[in-house]
Amino acid sequence: MQDIVHETGLDIDEMLNRKAKRRELLMTFLPFCGLALTVIILSVVTKGLLLKPENLVNIMNQCFTTAIVSLGAAFVYAHGGIDFSVGASCGVAQMVCIFLVSSKGLPLPIGMLAAIVIGVTCALIVGMASYWLHLQPFVVSLCVRSACAGILIAGTNALGKNIRVPLEIFGIFNNDTVKIITLVILIAITWYLFEKTSVGKTEKAIGGNRTTTWQSGLPIGRNILYAYLIMGICVGIAAVFQMSRAGMVTSNSGIGIEFNILIALALGGFPMSGGASAKIRSMLVGALTITFLTNGLIIAGLAMEYVNIVKGLLFITVIAVSYDRTNLKQVVFM
Amino acid sequence: MGKEIIFSAHGICKAFGPTRALIDVDFSIYRGEVHGLIGENGSGKSTFSSIAAGAQSLDSGTFTLKGQPYSPKNMVDAQNHGIGMIVQEQGTIGSISVASNIFTGRMKENSKFGFLSMKQLNEKAQIILNNIGAGDINASLLTSSLNFEDRKIVEIARVMVADPDVLIVDETTTALAMKGRKILYNLIEKFKSENKAVIFISHDLNELIEICDRVTVLRDGRIIDTLEGDNISEDNMRRLMVGRELDGHYFRNDYICSYDDEIVLEAKQITYGPFTNLDLQLHKGEILGITGLSECGMHELGKVLFGIEKTITGSVTIPAKNVEIKNPTIAIKNRIGYLSKDRDRESIILNASIKDNIELPCMDKLKGPLGFISTKSERKLAREQIEVLQIKCRNSEQLLTELSGGNKQKVVFSKWLACDSDVLILDCATRGIDVGVKAAIYRLLEDLKSKGKSVILISEELPEMIGMSDRMLIMQNGKITAEFKRSPELKEEDIIKYMI
Ligand SMILES: Nc1ncnc2c1ncn2[C@@H]1O[C@H](COP(=O)(O)OP(=O)(O)OP(=O)(O)O)[C@@H](O)[C@H]1O
Ligand SMILES: [Mg+2]
Repeated sequence: MQDIVHETGLDIDEMLNRKAKRRELLMTFLPFCGLALTVIILSVVTKGLLLKPENLVNIMNQCFTTAIVSLGAAFVYAHGGIDFSVGASCGVAQMVCIFLVSSKGLPLPIGMLAAIVIGVTCALIVGMASYWLHLQPFVVSLCVRSACAGILIAGTNALGKNIRVPLEIFGIFNNDTVKIITLVILIAITWYLFEKTSVGKTEKAIGGNRTTTWQSGLPIGRNILYAYLIMGICVGIAAVFQMSRAGMVTSNSGIGIEFNILIALALGGFPMSGGASAKIRSMLVGALTITFLTNGLIIAGLAMEYVNIVKGLLFITVIAVSYDRTNLKQVVFM
Repeated sequence: MGKEIIFSAHGICKAFGPTRALIDVDFSIYRGEVHGLIGENGSGKSTFSSIAAGAQSLDSGTFTLKGQPYSPKNMVDAQNHGIGMIVQEQGTIGSISVASNIFTGRMKENSKFGFLSMKQLNEKAQIILNNIGAGDINASLLTSSLNFEDRKIVEIARVMVADPDVLIVDETTTALAMKGRKILYNLIEKFKSENKAVIFISHDLNELIEICDRVTVLRDGRIIDTLEGDNISEDNMRRLMVGRELDGHYFRNDYICSYDDEIVLEAKQITYGPFTNLDLQLHKGEILGITGLSECGMHELGKVLFGIEKTITGSVTIPAKNVEIKNPTIAIKNRIGYLSKDRDRESIILNASIKDNIELPCMDKLKGPLGFISTKSERKLAREQIEVLQIKCRNSEQLLTELSGGNKQKVVFSKWLACDSDVLILDCATRGIDVGVKAAIYRLLEDLKSKGKSVILISEELPEMIGMSDRMLIMQNGKITAEFKRSPELKEEDIIKYMI
């Protein structure tokens, strides 16, 4: 009798175990499934155009900016921060870079450095204001965004609307091999920092519970600034590549990056409020998905305005479906 | 027997993934009865009671309430049927008023034409607070302005809104101060006299003996036995919970007050909140108890000693190293650890794994070249602690949200054990931990002491204080009113005199 009970007990345990593993797997692979689904549906809709080699190169290029910025943004979103100024600051970085290199004739490395400095400065303003002045990073970043947009318009106007980017100097940044190597190196570095060092671990801890993190001896302010610093560097790097690819800098440069990041975050399954389940991987999967989506819809003949509408709706849907409401429910019913 | 069963459960099963929290649980409670529910940490007490109170769903099984089949859809529904529960975790929302907390989920019933009169709500809430004897809490205040203990009282008030027939009290007493406990005990008395019923969960065996008519023991999700009358004894309960005889002593079995002369932590003339110009010295190898009523300032004192709150005058220093403790980072660098009473808000990250939580204060220790922290070293650290404190979990990757209350507490404790602190400041460290593991923790403290480490115990639990500390400071209204050295003659009565 005892034995029978035991055996069935084990059976049930086994079954439950398998069930749990399956669910865990599903949650991990859901974003990947989303990516696959997007690719499949859109390649059908575009009658295979989506997966043509020329277009894949296109997609790689388009994905590049989003991917690089999202690698840095992972640190900010992991601690529960947010930054809406990355697109605009990326634009300003491009403008300053081209101004220094083309108009002032300074060497390329100086221009690159300037782009990174601009990216870092804007990011740090958001970081510092939100930490020391206790302002919402969202609000601060909107202000920075608005300021940057103004500077970009004024600057490009002064420099003659569409500023050409001389390919004889910037050509190297529009080389596919260089891009792939850069991306691989950046992924390696950010992954290492994010998953294997105290920097990333602390960001996730802050996102999980700020008070606990502080009482565990980890300085909050410094780590928040690290996150914005890393993101700023990524924005600067992305700026140089984006302008080289576009061949010019205009008042539209950099526009929309922040929104792409946000959707990448949602599609990749990166937790909106940060915390321990944040993964670099999620950012990359999300960035790929959103690029395929944008590209595919445009090839399918949808106008850019409509693509943006689709993106907006998609964002809300994903958030609505994936947002963890268990805590909320408890609070309400208690 | 002629007694009427008010609530019963039949064949309740519940699993969380691969964890089987409840297996075929049968349970019944009479009118006019206080029924204790005990078991080791993670044995399924909270799971059972939260299912009964509608906070979770069940896999299989049925409930009968007042002769009717009963299956609650959510907590409000359960309350409307007559079952209310005071939860183990912190269950109030800080950003809204006390009254709003008391009436959460019931706003609709209290509004007219979609409008909610805050004034009326406050008045109603105040009446409820007054009725349970907590009139000193102002219902219109913001909840976050209350201290930890008073927030728990707000939860008691909230349960009383629906005037339940069956009250479930899950491990609440340790979160309450003396005042709150009186309120709770009075409430339980009232339930008994009104022929209602109380399901009472606690790890304090004396408390259980005192107030329970029957005690049911859970182990690993199964009902083991139900004790009645004289059978409700410490030994019986302990044996049934753990499943074997517990041998050895519980508290320290020496009565020698011993420590080095070296001072490892010194507070000079510190002022914060309830206390002014307070002096305190902690010696090497000393277990220093600090006790008093909850409002006496002892919890705040712990925070100041660790640098979480800043003292207005004077300083907290480590004399030998000549460093001043200004913030937790400095404190931890100098190997001081602090365990807060408000576990969920200050000591753990709920949505992170056991491993992530344990390594928080000791990441520096794990770092290799280039700041590399290997998963292997992280896991090893966590596994060691899981073993030492017998944390009940699947593995070190399990999230803290999925652990039982007592096991969460063990994780906090292991955080500071893992980083090898020289000085431990423990604010109600054994809160919610079962007797078996508590004994293990007391052995650990003795062991730390013998290695020359120092411990500050802050707690209202006098037996624990008397049982463990070398020296004891009694606080009242922010002042140290008495100091006792360890001795076999020391009795609780001697101490209480100086507390009130
Ligand atoms: N949401 C959840 N997900 C997974 N496992 C869970 C969850 N909630 C509880 N468990 C598991 O169910 C078991 C029973 O937990 P429960 O909280 O009922 O214990 P308890 O008897 O109340 O313990 P304690 O004395 O520590 O409060 C534990 O092993 C716990 O890890
Ligand atoms: Mg519990």
